[in-house]
Amino acid sequence: MKTNDVILQFTAKIVFFIIFLFSIHIFMAGHYTPGGGFVGGLLTASAIVLLILAFDLKTVQTGFNINYRLLVATGLLLAVGTASFPMFVGEPFFTHFYDYFELPFFGNTSLHTAMLFDAGVYLVVVGVTLTIIQSIGEDE
Amino acid sequence: MAFQILLNFGVAFVWMFIVQNFSGQGFIVGYVLGLILLIGMRRFFRSRLYIHRVWAAIKLTWLFIGELIKANIAVLKVVLKPQLDMQPAFFAYPTDLKEDWEIVLLSSLITLTPGTVVIHVSDDAKTLYIHAIDCTDVEGEIDGIRTSFERAIKEVSRA
Repeated sequence: MKTNDVILQFTAKIVFFIIFLFSIHIFMAGHYTPGGGFVGGLLTASAIVLLILAFDLKTVQTGFNINYRLLVATGLLLAVGTASFPMFVGEPFFTHFYDYFELPFFGNTSLHTAMLFDAGVYLVVVGVTLTIIQSIGEDE
Repeated sequence: MAFQILLNFGVAFVWMFIVQNFSGQGFIVGYVLGLILLIGMRRFFRSRLYIHRVWAAIKLTWLFIGELIKANIAVLKVVLKPQLDMQPAFFAYPTDLKEDWEIVLLSSLITLTPGTVVIHVSDDAKTLYIHAIDCTDVEGEIDGIRTSFERAIKEVSRA
């Protein structure tokens, strides 16, 4: 007996986009305002978890066919790479660089290597959260 | 409808490139010009102009705000009454809306107006089960929803 979850499923489909965009915004805003990699990653994971709740694991996996363990590894590599890169140019471990660049379309933008480290944190958080939820959810 | 909006956006972008004004102001001017052109070209489209549907959506919003205020006052009366003589009721509401988003919109509007809550949508999506806090006249309630919300939603979704 399959019940009709039309309200939950339709709402989840729409709200997913809003949560995902907000998570990207929180991730980008981490330097000057509250937010950052950890919160952004959790929000992204929660958007995907909402889809999993409204539909089921298999349906969501056909859409987001990502190996989340690889995502964790990628995030760790990115973080370690960002932290150890200064050692090759004679600076201490974890020195961050930043500069102002004239980008096309964006104008004068300050780019900071802390952003890359944050991206690593983001990937690790998304990967770990969804790995946990998937392994619990697939348990029969 | 979607095609008309896309066309309107396209005209707005063409206008921005013609006058070399890549700001929000240029976009809005181009959009309004495109709208005037679309109104002029309306007999070439198979469906209605999308402006009608936007207007219907605005009317639905107003209807909802009015119903919200009225229903809140009704529930306030029920709450503040010294005697507890309200008549809670469950009733089935047969809907003839087809699309998912229409059913979700109708259910949300019914739930957001105080005094009525949608409990469940039947599996063939033809019946909504509604709980009302104070309902002596089920037929009247069903009629009220049909003539207000459902008619307005149909007005929005009509091609």
